[in-house]
Amino acid sequence: MIRLEGAEKYYTTGAEPIHVLRGISLHIASGEFVSIMGPSGSGKSTLMNILGCLDTLDKGTYELDRRRVDTVNNSEQAKIRNRKFGFVFQQFNLIPRLSALRNVELPMIYGRLPLAERQQRARQALHRVGLGDRCSHTPARLSGGQQQRVAIARALVNDPDVIIADEPTGSLDSHAGEEIMNIFSELHAQGKLIIMVTHEHDIAAYAQRIIRLRDGVIAEDLRK
Amino acid sequence: MKPASNTLWQFWLDLLGQALLGLADHKLRTALSATGIAIGIAAVILIATVNRSGKEVIFSELQTFGLKSVWVHRNYKVDDPRRVIRGGTGISNDDINALKASASCPALAKFTPILWPGRYAPLFATRGNRYSSAGVEGVGSAYLEINNDALVVGRGFNPQDIERRRAVAVIGEQVRNDLFAADENPVGKELRIADDKFEIIGVLAYKDRSFLASINSTGGQQDPNGRILIPYNRLQTMLGTEDITMIQGEAVSPGMARAAAEQIVAFLKRRHQDAFKYRIETMQQYVANADVILGIVSTIGLVAATVSLLVAGLGILNIMSTSVIERTREIGLRKAIGGGEGEIMSQFLIEATLISLLGGVFGLLLGAVSSVAITAWTHYPLVPEFSFIVIGFCVSLVVGLISGVYPAYRAAKLRPVEALRYE
Ligand SMILES: Nc1ncnc2c1ncn2[C@@H]1O[C@H](COP(=O)(O)OP(=O)(O)OP(=O)(O)O)[C@@H](O)[C@H]1O
Ligand SMILES: [Mg+2]
Repeated sequence: MIRLEGAEKYYTTGAEPIHVLRGISLHIASGEFVSIMGPSGSGKSTLMNILGCLDTLDKGTYELDRRRVDTVNNSEQAKIRNRKFGFVFQQFNLIPRLSALRNVELPMIYGRLPLAERQQRARQALHRVGLGDRCSHTPARLSGGQQQRVAIARALVNDPDVIIADEPTGSLDSHAGEEIMNIFSELHAQGKLIIMVTHEHDIAAYAQRIIRLRDGVIAEDLRK
Repeated sequence: MKPASNTLWQFWLDLLGQALLGLADHKLRTALSATGIAIGIAAVILIATVNRSGKEVIFSELQTFGLKSVWVHRNYKVDDPRRVIRGGTGISNDDINALKASASCPALAKFTPILWPGRYAPLFATRGNRYSSAGVEGVGSAYLEINNDALVVGRGFNPQDIERRRAVAVIGEQVRNDLFAADENPVGKELRIADDKFEIIGVLAYKDRSFLASINSTGGQQDPNGRILIPYNRLQTMLGTEDITMIQGEAVSPGMARAAAEQIVAFLKRRHQDAFKYRIETMQQYVANADVILGIVSTIGLVAATVSLLVAGLGILNIMSTSVIERTREIGLRKAIGGGEGEIMSQFLIEATLISLLGGVFGLLLGAVSSVAITAWTHYPLVPEFSFIVIGFCVSLVVGLISGVYPAYRAAKLRPVEALRYE
């Protein structure tokens, strides 16, 4: 499903460029549950952004479903993100003025689904993460764990193949984190490919495969 | 995933909804930047209304002189002191008769001699113990037609009245009020001018020149409703003169007014071997003056309106730029979940345009209300036209789009990764 070959990424903010990814080759099959670990600054988020088509490579190739996606233009990238990926961030990134339902509806607006279908699917998705009774709440009236579950509902609602989650439990206590991981395990059981960054070993343990990054290279790739 | 079965308008409706929700977040800010637009649009509406209604008022008052009218009278200014100065007005009965028979003024459709008694022979009209201070004018039979004068009762002069120097008079509204009771019909009654009795044959319809009077325009000084018109040759007999004060002509068309007046002057100069100089006035020159004045007023107003719209547009630009910066993370998120550049750009453009249109609507109301207020205050009818609403709407649309383009473009071009990292 995912084939990354010789991926390299530089950042040129200061005088000399920082080499963040130094040649990463990575194959991930559909339906896998992958945890990415590694020290801070090792390039985990950078790698996730590239996998999620949020950022582009400086060197190497990226194939998604046997199709080159590292060379497509911005609007094509946006379409791929909309259809193939669901994103879960550490900061939830819900739009504060919108209700839970409207937040979940957003990806379908960009996917140009009709209103009635959108609302029905958004309700279903919220139900699935256990927030069927919180549809009209704005993020300010939800707990952190609930907000993250809304974000997961938003990530699920377009029925993507891949869930990209960068430290999804990083802002939550262990109980809320556990709830999130239970949802992820269910999604995995239903066949979704999940790629997740985490610092916590017990969170990483939910995955079947753990990849460790160090200084922009893969230091370890463990399968259970 | 299902193919998009959504119609296009549904999608724009969604973007509109997103934009509205964005604005609802900052009601005060939105209202304040809309106010600038409202003032600008109100100014535009007011200027357009003043311009159009002003034109109408001035035009209708100028029409009371006859828009094709020209006047020719002697120019008394002496610029060559060695020349012998001859007395008289430079226009005589012989000139009038010759002009009637002549074919040398093709641009002239008709004309009338006009004789004013002048200051040296003040004439009052009296009737019993009532009197009127109105001015007596000696005129020809074409006078009423040339001056667009209508009669409320009675008749005007016919050629026989003039030929036979009949003692008949046509009076204005004011004269009628001076000499008669309100319910009395003056037609057939007599009035006295000096020692002569005149039979009243008609009463002139009321003419409004209040605007011209209020701006101290030359024509406005003379009260059109205080005229006593009698055959010019009758007045000549009373004054013991053969002179004519001026010739008022009507050109075949407004564009030929100048030519008609010049042809009369050439004709008179030929007849008097260039002994007199003449002054020409045409109604067209006053119409042109009125246009110039209105043009100046409009230009000043338009500059003011443009400046206020420009400032208001900059206000929207500023607000939208701030909004884009504040919502950087939101934009990043929207892009991450599939919002394309066009969609992000549209959303912010719609927001800017909505602010501007909101201002536009209030501007239209403000413009209409102030037109009504000014009408009530000055009594000059200011009637906004439907087309002004369209203009105001379009102007605010354009201002919104222009001031929204830059912030919207910046939002659309944000890189998703960086936007999501923004604190
Ligand atoms: N936009 C950027 N400009 C410059 N340098 C960047 C940028 N983004 C990331 N970096 C640098 O790239 C390196 C890797 O960053 P990245 O965010 O991928 O690390 P990470 O493994 O996710 O770390 P953490 O665990 O702290 O989230 C860091 O040294 C960081 O400073
Ligand atoms: Mg990171």
